[in-house]
Amino acid sequence: MKRLLLIAVFAGALSGARLLAHHSFAAEFDDKQPIKLTGVLKKVEWTNPHIWYYVEVKNPDGTTTMWALSGGAPGQLMRRGIRKDQLVVGQTINVEGFRARDGSHNGFGRSVTYQDGRNVFTATPQDQQSK
Amino acid sequence: MRYTRSLLLLLVLGALTVMTPLSAQNTTQKPAAPKPSGGGGIPRTADGKPDFSGTYQWPTYLPGAERGRSNATIFDKKNFAPLKPGGEAFFEPRTGDPRHDEPRDFCMPAGFPASVLSGNAMQLFQTKNYLVWVHEFQRNTRIIPLDGRPHRDGLEPMYDGDSVGKWEGDTLVIDTTNFKRWALDDHHYTNGQEFRMHSDALHTIERLRWKSPTAISYTITIDDPKIFTKPWSQEFEVIAKPEWEKDGLFEYVCQENNRCPGGKCGSN
Repeated sequence: MKRLLLIAVFAGALSGARLLAHHSFAAEFDDKQPIKLTGVLKKVEWTNPHIWYYVEVKNPDGTTTMWALSGGAPGQLMRRGIRKDQLVVGQTINVEGFRARDGSHNGFGRSVTYQDGRNVFTATPQDQQSK
Repeated sequence: MRYTRSLLLLLVLGALTVMTPLSAQNTTQKPAAPKPSGGGGIPRTADGKPDFSGTYQWPTYLPGAERGRSNATIFDKKNFAPLKPGGEAFFEPRTGDPRHDEPRDFCMPAGFPASVLSGNAMQLFQTKNYLVWVHEFQRNTRIIPLDGRPHRDGLEPMYDGDSVGKWEGDTLVIDTTNFKRWALDDHHYTNGQEFRMHSDALHTIERLRWKSPTAISYTITIDDPKIFTKPWSQEFEVIAKPEWEKDGLFEYVCQENNRCPGGKCGSN
């Protein structure tokens, strides 16, 4: 319950956050290539300079593609109360964001939600802080 | 007997020392507002100097007119002094090469003053002879002597320059020279077409002064004689965040998982 409340608070506090182009973000990701993925969270790297998490997405032909998605710096997320254990490996998540400029299966996750609509986090300009 | 008399004298002197400021406070008619330069209510060290040790939010610029889309605080161009002839080099053209245009994408340092203005927590440690200023962003650390020594000679130019500090009353003044030519601030994250590069002649003066028991007035003077006709300053506010003490600063190792330097991520 406490966790749900916490997530609700984050969702409320961050829902108004705009995704804003940051040069470091712009150097790596293309805001003209939005992506919308649903898949199983396979791994979380709670590391600097930005967190990365890996989502296995099923393709229409039955194959799977592993997407790597970037988020904010661990310290900035933790100071906002967002902790690694809120990204539960094995859960299915929805990710909206932007694809990497090099066209690879990498991207920036602007928002992450669970299937039931619970918000994990929404990006702020801080999350796109330069390195 | 002589020992007893001396002890009594010490006790009386001690009592007077303690009572004097209390008496002065009792005669004050109005509640004391925070004094701009010292006085009661601000943190002080045992030797009476203002104490800046603590955990803080990054410096914020109160008018905030030019913060724009950047998370970090940046300098407001309305505070700039006029450019001198040739000072246009301040606005360095972009080349399209990320190693030139976005060196931080390759984990290069922000450099002072941009390093201090980045939107992350910071922690200051003050002793009689040093101020150690640690910023969570890139774990940038400045070790600033306060013992009156001069700047060091013969050093190669540096991203953070060479800093020395001194006290002017209750204001801590930090003088920094010997910079490498580098980005002045994070303005280019707000406007990707404009880059602000200070010259290798940059000289900065920072002034820290408690303006209330929980907020520091922090002024940076930019003296760059290759760029500007005269020095100019911008005042920031630094808010104490004692509630961040428990967690302290988090680690920030940019090289640890820098997956997409220059936009080249590769396969997973």
